Amino acid sequence: MPLFEARNIQKRFGARVVLEDVSLSVEQGAVHGIMGPNGAGKTTCFNVLTGHYAPDGGTIRFAGRDIAGMKPHRIARLGVSRSFQIMNLFDDTVVIENVMLALPEFRAMTFSPSRNVFIDRALTDAALEILAQVDLAEKAWDKAASLSYGQRRALEIAVALAARPKIVFLDEPTSGLGAEATRALAQLVRRLRESYTIVMIEHDMRFLFELADRISVIHWGQVIAEDTPTELMANKWVARSALGELA
Amino acid sequence: MTAMLEVKGLEKVYTRSVFDRTPTFRLTADFTIAEPGIVGMMGPNGSGKTTLFELVTGSNAPTSGEVSVMGRNIHRVRTDQRDRLAIHYHQSYQVRHFRSWTPNALLENAGSDYPMLHLFDEPQFNTQDGYIGFMLDFFRRLRDEGRLVFLCVHPNERFHLEIVEEICERFIFVQKGSVTPLASYDDLLAHEPARAYLGDLLTERAA
Repeated sequence: MPLFEARNIQKRFGARVVLEDVSLSVEQGAVHGIMGPNGAGKTTCFNVLTGHYAPDGGTIRFAGRDIAGMKPHRIARLGVSRSFQIMNLFDDTVVIENVMLALPEFRAMTFSPSRNVFIDRALTDAALEILAQVDLAEKAWDKAASLSYGQRRALEIAVALAARPKIVFLDEPTSGLGAEATRALAQLVRRLRESYTIVMIEHDMRFLFELADRISVIHWGQVIAEDTPTELMANKWVARSALGELA
Repeated sequence: MTAMLEVKGLEKVYTRSVFDRTPTFRLTADFTIAEPGIVGMMGPNGSGKTTLFELVTGSNAPTSGEVSVMGRNIHRVRTDQRDRLAIHYHQSYQVRHFRSWTPNALLENAGSDYPMLHLFDEPQFNTQDGYIGFMLDFFRRLRDEGRLVFLCVHPNERFHLEIVEEICERFIFVQKGSVTPLASYDDLLAHEPARAYLGDLLTERAA
């Protein structure tokens, strides 16, 4: 049984059909890619899958549970985490605080204004362990604003990992990254896939075709193609394109 | 068997204003497409292609005549369900505002969950990204699942014609508001106005 499965998802905003029919099936441990032109409905798709919008039709199952229409925080608690295309970090704080705030054990703590969370070893150790997964442990006590763009992307992913998810949705992780930072991110995704199931929207096709086990091509709010990178490359128009040169 | 699409004596006349009824544009169409397939639509800018799409999907009211999709008069179907019969994938986000004066409660249900007609208005074809291949396969899949696909293209590069020749089984040529159905790519090339419209693309050798 797939870990995450969406069937015939439909989403309308008024008269406009944004998602006509999206089905997606992700096996445990897989890296599933989503690509498509601008305005195709990729981010809306993520928003529906992670509960930010309720679908108008279709089913979404995660680990055997029906999660369609559930509130985002409840879906998150079940083990579904996501990053955003536009970064959401607390720049005025230190790197580790961004991760600590997202830890479930921090959120479970009773609020006390006099308590210094930074002397709570269990909490800082947990945050450091997550930062280590994205190679940011050494930067833990630096200002978040001092990170490079690529490191900020990694920190965003660390925030998503802090919830200790089973599946992570990444919305255009390479967006704005240069060639070197993109290579570093590819390395990171290769490491993360050993522990997490990953679904990612990506514009950088080279990046996606290298990393994904399967790719869904979304256009007009529908999955217009879905296959392994190798099979997708076999299409004669794809072979003629810049993508074909990757093969 | 009910035809998938029947356009009967359809006419849309735009006039100068409510007071001055001098026609500025007149679109007329009369054709039937019985079975699933992929239909290419071409014609110069301003000839009425998008207007025809709007009339077929029920997002624009005809002056006279009728459009039946799967035997249902699209203009008698609830406005919020018309896209369950025929969906218009717009060229950009510029969707013309339209309202129907008949309340939905007095209109019929579409009787379908997934659109039977898919009208693609000038999809972006770019040889660089490889999407063309996925798009063409998608059109074929829709046809094989019993849908009728309209593909409005405005060929300005040789590969656009290649796409059309590869994917479209029949054609509709629109010029100055008149709609001519053509049974094949050869018929399209034999149609004089279409030849004139395609012009240099026909004489150039394939790159």
